Amino acid sequence: MPVIELKDVSKLYGFGDATTVALDEVNFSVEKGEFVAIMGPSGSGKSTLLNIIGLLDKPTHGTYDLGGRRVERMRANRRSKIRRDTIGFIFQSFNLLPRLNVLENVALPLAYKGKTQTKRLKQAGAILEEVGLADREYFMPKQLSGGQTQRVAIARALVNNPKIIIADEPTGNLDSASSLVIMELLDKIHRDGNTILMVTHNPELTKYASRVVFMHDGSIVADEMSKFGEIPGFIKRRMYSVKIKTQEDKLKGVSAVMKAIPDKNTKNDDSSNKKQKKPIKKYKRKNKAKK
Amino acid sequence: MLLSRNIRLAVSSLRSSKWRSYLTMLGIIIGVASVVVTVSIGEGVKKQVVKQINELGPELITVRPGTTVQRDENGNIVGVNLLAGINPGSFSEKEWTAITETSGVQSTSPLNVVSGVPRYQDKTMPNSIVVGTTDNFAALIGQELDYGAFFSDNDKNENTVVIGKRVADELFGELAPIGKSIQVRGHTLIVKGIFKQFPSTPLVASNDYNSTIFMPYEVSKKVSSGQVQIYQILAKAKDEKTANSAAANIRSNLTKLHGGEEDFTVLKQDENLAVVSNMLNLLTAFIAGVAAISLLVGGIGVMNIMLVLVSERTREIGVRKAVGATNKQILTQFLVESSVLCVVGGLLGIILSVIANYLIRVFTDLQPVITIPIILISVGIALIVGIIFGTTPAVIAARKDPIESLRYE
Ligand SMILES: Nc1ncnc2c1ncn2[C@@H]1O[C@H](COP(=O)(O)OP(=O)(O)OP(=O)(O)O)[C@@H](O)[C@H]1O
Ligand SMILES: [Mg+2]
Repeated sequence: MPVIELKDVSKLYGFGDATTVALDEVNFSVEKGEFVAIMGPSGSGKSTLLNIIGLLDKPTHGTYDLGGRRVERMRANRRSKIRRDTIGFIFQSFNLLPRLNVLENVALPLAYKGKTQTKRLKQAGAILEEVGLADREYFMPKQLSGGQTQRVAIARALVNNPKIIIADEPTGNLDSASSLVIMELLDKIHRDGNTILMVTHNPELTKYASRVVFMHDGSIVADEMSKFGEIPGFIKRRMYSVKIKTQEDKLKGVSAVMKAIPDKNTKNDDSSNKKQKKPIKKYKRKNKAKK
Repeated sequence: MLLSRNIRLAVSSLRSSKWRSYLTMLGIIIGVASVVVTVSIGEGVKKQVVKQINELGPELITVRPGTTVQRDENGNIVGVNLLAGINPGSFSEKEWTAITETSGVQSTSPLNVVSGVPRYQDKTMPNSIVVGTTDNFAALIGQELDYGAFFSDNDKNENTVVIGKRVADELFGELAPIGKSIQVRGHTLIVKGIFKQFPSTPLVASNDYNSTIFMPYEVSKKVSSGQVQIYQILAKAKDEKTANSAAANIRSNLTKLHGGEEDFTVLKQDENLAVVSNMLNLLTAFIAGVAAISLLVGGIGVMNIMLVLVSERTREIGVRKAVGATNKQILTQFLVESSVLCVVGGLLGIILSVIANYLIRVFTDLQPVITIPIILISVGIALIVGIIFGTTPAVIAARKDPIESLRYE
């Protein structure tokens, strides 16, 4: 049984003519132990998808089963508790609390579980050691480098032994060296048996994933298993259909270029894909919304 | 456990912007301090009055014109008439005689007002009171003299006076002006004695014996050309046990004398006490109520700052919710924070009021008393203010949408 199972999940924003379809009848399931990389141009609905999976947001339509439990209509209180017990978040902007030290930040999810202070700090200390920051326990977040900060955030996401780890562009604010460290860490966590969902704009990073998903205009337009260390073919084709013009682009990896991909390119590629029906469906949907 | 964590969190949050916290607390500090000071002054005055009244002994009965109290059928006091003191009228010798002849009464002493301003050489003392009384007055109220002696049966027709300490000080400018003479309504009277300091009873000005000039009753009649205006008659019962029946007898005798009208007040010492403390409580409550308004203003300041704090910490709220904080846990966090702010303000207010009370003791006659209940109640009030004015900001924090909060810059 999949850990995550979304059926016909849509997310609409706004009313009438101003309606935006952020997710368009997405069907998506994730098995335990998968490391899913999600790619796609800006505004294609990646964050929206992760927010719904992470129970931070509710879908407008469709059903969502998390660990065999129907969760899409749950009340805020129960959603909070499920987040606390089964989901770990890693954000692009780290989101450590500035007034707490590293150890307290890592222990934060445990505090809401009602564990005793000593237990919490002990557990947090152990996790910090795993991410290689045992010597930074009593630092304040502002005293850490970007890469270290993100490792602390990863420790915080792991401290509860979550069923799934959700990372929205975890390397988006990091240089390539730090990105590498973070990806190695996520890879290790994956190999320990954890389920990870990660959004990234950097095709190189899909090397670490066991499965790569490509989104466009609120739909999943490609979804393939991939071998460790390899970039899936459809991602490569997208990468090399755009020329790297400057040295800066080269350094950033392809992420900046990917963001700049014009709609035409992706659409051309879509036609070569298996899921051809989607664009037509979406057209219908937009019409519906306008009525 | 969670509460102690929340308190620690709140303290560190308040410390992170110290000045803002202090300024916010200022309203609470001043509010609590003013309430505590007024209540402790009231408490102190009550204590002084109680002490004084107790010194007079339980067998003393005071009879005054005017209805100061309301009684039920059993004679228990059910209400106090604050305005009765303004124009109560006066007794004549009829009532005095009636009281003296009442069974159970051992001795009596009237206070007959002489309307006149005393003069010594070219100095006058307009705020003094001149009264005529009997030679047993000093013994009746158990007051001793510093210098000289109280007039006796022998000089009941002599032009002598015994004066309070303040009269000696203000009119004569010396401690013991024995043998000096004063003028009242064209009569010359010689000072025979000076009372010891009467315990001062603030707020009960009619009883300020320190500014009073006492002369023999017969002389006072002569000085005021035969006119009698008795504003108080003291009666002493044989002992404590007969005090109740004696007071009841006085009441029924005087009522009969006044044609069935009870337009006077008979108070035993314990009732006197009840009346005074009743009056003081009313007064204290009123002033404390006014002071409490500043607490309200302080509360609004707290609410204002909490709203700012909640919006500043939107992102933190988002993160906390993402890692599993429930709405209730967020609500508690901010509620504890506003409560801590107010309780700390309350404690500082109490410290301020202790300092203020010390200054009041040094510079005035008042003896404010801070009791444990006053402290507990004022901390409790501060806590309530924190909860009341912290609720709206805390609810706003708890209801924030996690995604929007995480995006907040
Ligand atoms: N709160 C909102 N109100 C209205 N529209 C929204 C809201 N949040 C997202 N959207 C819209 O939903 C669509 C998908 O947004 P989403 O944030 O999921 O994109 P994304 O794939 O994560 O993009 P990026 O790569 O830039 O992060 C966008 O068109 C966006 O404008
Ligand atoms: Mg996004």
